[in-house]
Amino acid sequence: MTVRNLGIIGGGTMGGGIAEVAAKSAINVVIQEPTVALGERAIRGIAASLDEAIAKWAITESEKRAILSRIKTTDSYKGFEKVDFVIEAIVESTEKKAKVFREVSQVCPPEAVIATNTSTISITYLGAQSGRPKQFLGMHFQPPVPKKPLVELVRGLETSDETLQRARQLAEVMGKTAIEVYEWPGYATTRIIIPLINEAMYVVMENVASAADVDIAMSKGCGMQKGPLHLADEMGLDAVLAQSEHLFRELGDLKYRPCPLLKKMVRAGHLGVKTGRGFFTYNHENKRE
Amino acid sequence: MKVFVLNCGSSSVKYQLIDTDLEKMEKQQEVVLARGSVEKIGLVPSSSSYQVVQENPLFLPQRQSKLPPPEKETVEIVDHIAAIRHAIKCLTNEKTGVMRDAAEIQAVGHRMVHGGEKFKKSHVIDKEVLRNIQECVEFAPLHNPHNLRGYYATYDLFPNIPQVAVFDTAFHQTMPPYAYLYGLPYAIYQKHGIRRYGFHGSSHRYVTYRVGQLCGVNPDQLRIITVHLGNGCSMTAVDHGKSIDTTMGFTPLEGLLMGTRTGDLDASVPLTLMVKEEISVAEVNAMMNKHSGLYGISGVSNDMREVIMAATEQKRDRAKIAIDMFCYRITKYVGAYTAAMGGLDHVVFTGGIGENSPLIRELSMRNLEFLGIEVDSQLNKMENMVEGKISKGKVGVWVVPTNEELVIARDTIRAIQGVNCS
Repeated sequence: MTVRNLGIIGGGTMGGGIAEVAAKSAINVVIQEPTVALGERAIRGIAASLDEAIAKWAITESEKRAILSRIKTTDSYKGFEKVDFVIEAIVESTEKKAKVFREVSQVCPPEAVIATNTSTISITYLGAQSGRPKQFLGMHFQPPVPKKPLVELVRGLETSDETLQRARQLAEVMGKTAIEVYEWPGYATTRIIIPLINEAMYVVMENVASAADVDIAMSKGCGMQKGPLHLADEMGLDAVLAQSEHLFRELGDLKYRPCPLLKKMVRAGHLGVKTGRGFFTYNHENKRE
Repeated sequence: MKVFVLNCGSSSVKYQLIDTDLEKMEKQQEVVLARGSVEKIGLVPSSSSYQVVQENPLFLPQRQSKLPPPEKETVEIVDHIAAIRHAIKCLTNEKTGVMRDAAEIQAVGHRMVHGGEKFKKSHVIDKEVLRNIQECVEFAPLHNPHNLRGYYATYDLFPNIPQVAVFDTAFHQTMPPYAYLYGLPYAIYQKHGIRRYGFHGSSHRYVTYRVGQLCGVNPDQLRIITVHLGNGCSMTAVDHGKSIDTTMGFTPLEGLLMGTRTGDLDASVPLTLMVKEEISVAEVNAMMNKHSGLYGISGVSNDMREVIMAATEQKRDRAKIAIDMFCYRITKYVGAYTAAMGGLDHVVFTGGIGENSPLIRELSMRNLEFLGIEVDSQLNKMENMVEGKISKGKVGVWVVPTNEELVIARDTIRAIQGVNCS
């Protein structure tokens, strides 16, 4: 069964990005936000991202209009009664997410699959809250969604094979490569990249090599498209720290302990691309100087 | 025999119901019963248009204006199968339908964009043919999957009637290797099938046939250049009835300047662009296919009528340059193809721009007097010039409305009856 109508809860960076990619793939999207104003903000965010794509010659004005025409917003759950698939992308709060799943499962059709974009909260727990744990899974997209072609499909304890299959199909239609992971802190991507970034920071802190040289080493020497420190700046050093602390707390192993240099930079407010300064400095176009 | 002709795009289905068979073909007594389209499939709302025609397709151009306007409605159509169901509903409607029952359809003809090297003519679709068409999907990822979707949908609806695939590329399979090969290592051609294929085959083939009919000489004895100017534009050198070269290449991007496509371009330009503009393969591809051509140069529109207006009424320089580029490339290829054929008897204009723009016909044919091409400006500008000759020189210059659907319907019959399709 292909997905024609997709419900998205939360139209922020992640939700908006998912909506944009889905609508680009000819899927009709309805975004739920608590207020009309937030719904409008979500559309403005998507429009701005589409404008960037136009500036990069990726799409045309008329394609932008067609994509936007497929996206509706609601401050209730209007439109969710006919969705085939729901993806939740609100703030990382167990209580708020649990509440959303209890609500949405009352509205959407019984056969609809529900997915969460969480990277830290238990899929099994949220699945139980939705009342349809077999049709529940995690779909962990990578920001910025329009540019990162990967999605991790996360199985909870009761997630059925069919549910996984339907999520895989949706990912394919959206042009994403899906990998399958089980519920575990950090899944695959975060679990691997955070310690790698952390180690790079130790190398800088211990004066073994400069930040620029660490990135050159990893890109030229190890085939990474971008060096780990530039990547960390893009992710936001505060986000890197939060994820690092999460892994350290959940898994307990010292190898996940955040590098002191990272903590210091976050305390100084040098958060990476978004503040113009992290391990490197960035101009007003977010390009590395 | 009623043949249901289908042209399925990504979000549209265009169809005609044509009554034809070998005898009617011979006597030119075929009839287009009705035609229509469903557009914006999957959007809310989709739009549908349907028109009863009941005319001989060869007389149709002259009588277009006398037909009642098509019925338009907005409907909800979720996919291609629903669109085809809707078409059948229109065709069998009690008041405006042209048949009582869908069972009257005896064959279905499908337009397929890419047939690779496997298909040199039209074929009845069986398992083997289907597998081969699927293998060609990689050549035309934007077209072939939708064409196939149309086949699957009609197969679901009519599992027992023959369906025929008519390929845009088939007509050009007569090109010799020195015309279709690129100067890349030969191994690349062997490994990936990268070569010139050419497109718009059914259109070039129809106007070749038609101009032969209009001038009373079999195209087997003529050297013709066919100029298809629509959304996409291409020219073909038809030497004694066979395509020996065409401007579109591995994809429909090469050759003439088009609405939003670059046409001919030094292959190192996109590579340089990817570095200078820091863009990806997909982005540079979109730039060359969607942001370039008339639109990219003029900054006005991809629609030739609007570009001409901007150039003539608003005197916008870039619109004028766009038109000059457009026409210059046509002129250039007329010269090239005349040389390739060792002479020229006729030039035929077709497609939306070719059929409707006297200015483009005139500009692209000037400077060609030395070849015996002289456009008669009065004939060229005649209001009701829908089909006919517009020249006074040695070489005939013609306007012929294209009719790909008729080619598809005829090939469908021929393929079913096992008669030569080319």
